[in-house]
Amino acid sequence: MVYTHKHPALLIMGGIFLLIGILVGTGALDGLIAYLHAGKYKGEMIWLGYILGVIGIVFGAWHLWGRHEEGDLDYYGSTVAGAIFIMLVAMIIRWFVAPYVAVLSKALGPVMGAKYLHQVLGLNYVVLGILAGIIITNTIGVPMWARNGVRLSRLGLKTGVILLGTLYSLAELQQLGKLSVVLIGFFVLGSVGLVLLLGRLRGLPNSMTGVLSAGMGVCGVSATVAASPVVKAKPVEIAYTIGTILLWGVGCMFLFPIIGNMLDMGYVQFGAWAGTGILNSAQVAGAALAYQPDGIETLKVAEIFNITRVLFLPIIVLWLALWFVKREEGNERVNVFQVIFQKFPIFVLGFILMFALSSTGIFAPPQHYKGKYFDNNIPESKLLKPEEVAVLKAEFDKVKQAKPEYAPALQRLIENRKIMSREDDALIRGLNNAKIMSKKANKLLKKAHKAVRHTAKKIKKFRQWITLLFAFGLTGLGMQITMAAIRQAGGQPLVVGGIVGTVKAVLSLIVILLFVHETI
Amino acid sequence: MSEKKPMANGSSNGDETQTIDIHEEDGFRYHRGSALSIFSSDRTEDFMALVLALLIALGVYLFVD
Repeated sequence: MVYTHKHPALLIMGGIFLLIGILVGTGALDGLIAYLHAGKYKGEMIWLGYILGVIGIVFGAWHLWGRHEEGDLDYYGSTVAGAIFIMLVAMIIRWFVAPYVAVLSKALGPVMGAKYLHQVLGLNYVVLGILAGIIITNTIGVPMWARNGVRLSRLGLKTGVILLGTLYSLAELQQLGKLSVVLIGFFVLGSVGLVLLLGRLRGLPNSMTGVLSAGMGVCGVSATVAASPVVKAKPVEIAYTIGTILLWGVGCMFLFPIIGNMLDMGYVQFGAWAGTGILNSAQVAGAALAYQPDGIETLKVAEIFNITRVLFLPIIVLWLALWFVKREEGNERVNVFQVIFQKFPIFVLGFILMFALSSTGIFAPPQHYKGKYFDNNIPESKLLKPEEVAVLKAEFDKVKQAKPEYAPALQRLIENRKIMSREDDALIRGLNNAKIMSKKANKLLKKAHKAVRHTAKKIKKFRQWITLLFAFGLTGLGMQITMAAIRQAGGQPLVVGGIVGTVKAVLSLIVILLFVHETI
Repeated sequence: MSEKKPMANGSSNGDETQTIDIHEEDGFRYHRGSALSIFSSDRTEDFMALVLALLIALGVYLFVD
């Protein structure tokens, strides 16, 4: 079968990207960009416009006029059209549609405290991109020439997750890792157990219960597919599970950010909640980026939880295999090591490799904190002003009495109007997290910390790549979510899945609000 | 890489738009909904993601100051 379609679409899309790059580069769209407050995307519009434009035109010409024969070149070459299609939808939304939605929303005035409607509803480029994908596939449909390329989305997401490894420091990984193992361990094992119990009580076949528990408990569709052979799930049972997961996962992806904004959750809290409570891995990333579209701190937290969940997959598959063998007569014994080896997610090793590389200091000065390195050679404008120093001076005695270990670092900050060393910076962060000073003083501590922390250019570039890979992956993900797939949900599996999904979402929210704080 | 995943062709319930995620197993057709891939296995996709990430990292290391 020949996969490449002789269609001018790719050529046209390449032309559109090139036109955007040229118009923005020559200043022809300056008025529109200023109206949309989209100046921060100007650089991206130019370089991405040119690169994707050239790729689209070159490959588009080949697709339209080249000879195509069955083979690897044809199969993989055909994906370019779909990939450029996804990028066109994603970037038009990121550069123009989402900023326009923000302009309209701001014109209505704040609706909840200081927040505007688009902020409360999370109508940013991430959510709009996913929505656009869902609308496209369920109305006009993804064009045939783009379908193979749409299947690249998950590759984009996995690559983004691996690259995220460059942004963590050891301290962050340790703290987030410990938190995620405890929370995920409890909720994954608890969800799986609850589905198995409810499935038995409601008289579902063991194969149905088994595959549903993997999907609801671990990481959605991937876990469903991974567990289906060991519980001998029938295709109709896989279909039911996928329908249930998608219904909940897509619903939570849009609902979680709204609730998070209403509760004014911090990045760590929301990332932990999304990573624990949302069923499908891709929807976790979607919700995290929807909550914080202009930064990736929430995504970093959520992905640690995602990775921990994925690491539980071999354990859960093993549990289900042993559980199924025990319940069903006549089944062969399970080879434990084979199951673990086959189900271990390799891309997690890639994430660890990137983290290890980053720790050597090849991408940024070592001992960075949240991707930022310490350098206190700062201009006068970044030093604390005399009136700001006075605020800190007035509360110095309070700190000396309550937390004397922080006093010397605070003293040096007051004397020099800036943080003097990496060690002092850690102490000032600790003092800020201790929350013994006033809100105003804590804001000044944060300001002093930010003044001496700088993002290395390489780390900035990685952040940009990660943002674009996730925008690509999530918009493409939207194009894979068909109403037909969601309509597969039904009957007892939907009831069991619904109960477990709701319990997990609500209980994890309560636990996180009570025990997780923004001190990581 | 000669193993391939076939593209979704044909229609389900006469609706061409909903066929992008059709999967057939034991004669039963259902919608995958997500987790579609151009590779034949998750392992292959994981390795390709790793290769792509390493290429991007190399590019950033070499060309970004």
